Amino acid sequence: MINNLIFMNGYGIYVWTSFAITFLTCSIVYYKTRKTLQKYEKEFVKELEELSSEQKKTVLENSKIASKVLSSYNKMY
Amino acid sequence: MFKFFNNSNVFIWIEKIIKFINSIFFVLLLTALSFALILSPPDYLQGDSVRIMYVHVPAAWIGLASFTCIALLSILNFIFKIKNFTLITKSIAPIGLMFTCIAIVTGSIWGQPTWGTFWVWDARITSMVILSLFYIVFIVTHKLVSDNEKANKISSLVAAVGLINIPIIKFSVDWWATLHQPASIKISGSSTIHTSMLVPLLLMFFVLILYCALIFLMKYKTEIIRIKKKNLNRL
Repeated sequence: MINNLIFMNGYGIYVWTSFAITFLTCSIVYYKTRKTLQKYEKEFVKELEELSSEQKKTVLENSKIASKVLSSYNKMY
Repeated sequence: MFKFFNNSNVFIWIEKIIKFINSIFFVLLLTALSFALILSPPDYLQGDSVRIMYVHVPAAWIGLASFTCIALLSILNFIFKIKNFTLITKSIAPIGLMFTCIAIVTGSIWGQPTWGTFWVWDARITSMVILSLFYIVFIVTHKLVSDNEKANKISSLVAAVGLINIPIIKFSVDWWATLHQPASIKISGSSTIHTSMLVPLLLMFFVLILYCALIFLMKYKTEIIRIKKKNLNRL
């Protein structure tokens, strides 16, 4: 059964290579997309922290997105 | 109604959907892989090599659907100037390119045991390569042209021209004598694929669509944060 699954009557090399390429590419793209998102979140929070407390308060009051990014970033780190 | 689609609401929904997809994705992936690699039967002619279909066909469908979506949204954006459409098309394009390339590569691997060669300049394959070139030009335009409005105009034009290639890909197997087999699954008319192969195919398609949604939402979220970051810099 295991042998059959691995070798697939001689077609195993083609089938497994195709699946491996697909899932490896998908994993790399997922990893890179997540990294970029985290990088932007980090930069955004850093710039938000650099604002004066008055400005920061105004931004957080007016922007749901800013407060959401800040809270999820604080949860993560 | 339009208030619901503002970036703040969209952003909150994106977070919820990403969490939901993450929670069900691996179970669905394992189920789909079990069907594709173990439970589905080998083909009476192609043997086990037919299993390549479970990644090749969904990848090709996603590549075609993504470009059609990009082209239609680009045309609408060109006419109505809706900012969100630019964000959507920019987020879809890399996913579409990736799946088009996967379809080409896995198709090439499938070609070796089936046709005896990795590559032929067949109408279907050539038109898929042209599709990937359109994707590359679309993405490069947004990367190289710094003026956003100009980049949108050029990329919309590229997408509109590229749209002509979509029916060519679809009907290439009917219009020309090609090595590539004709479509087994038809929207109108009866399909020639057995249920035991159709179920794993649709399962894999569903899993890859979920993956696309996940990547798209993450990219869209990144774009929204990028815009918000720019606004912060203006303070």
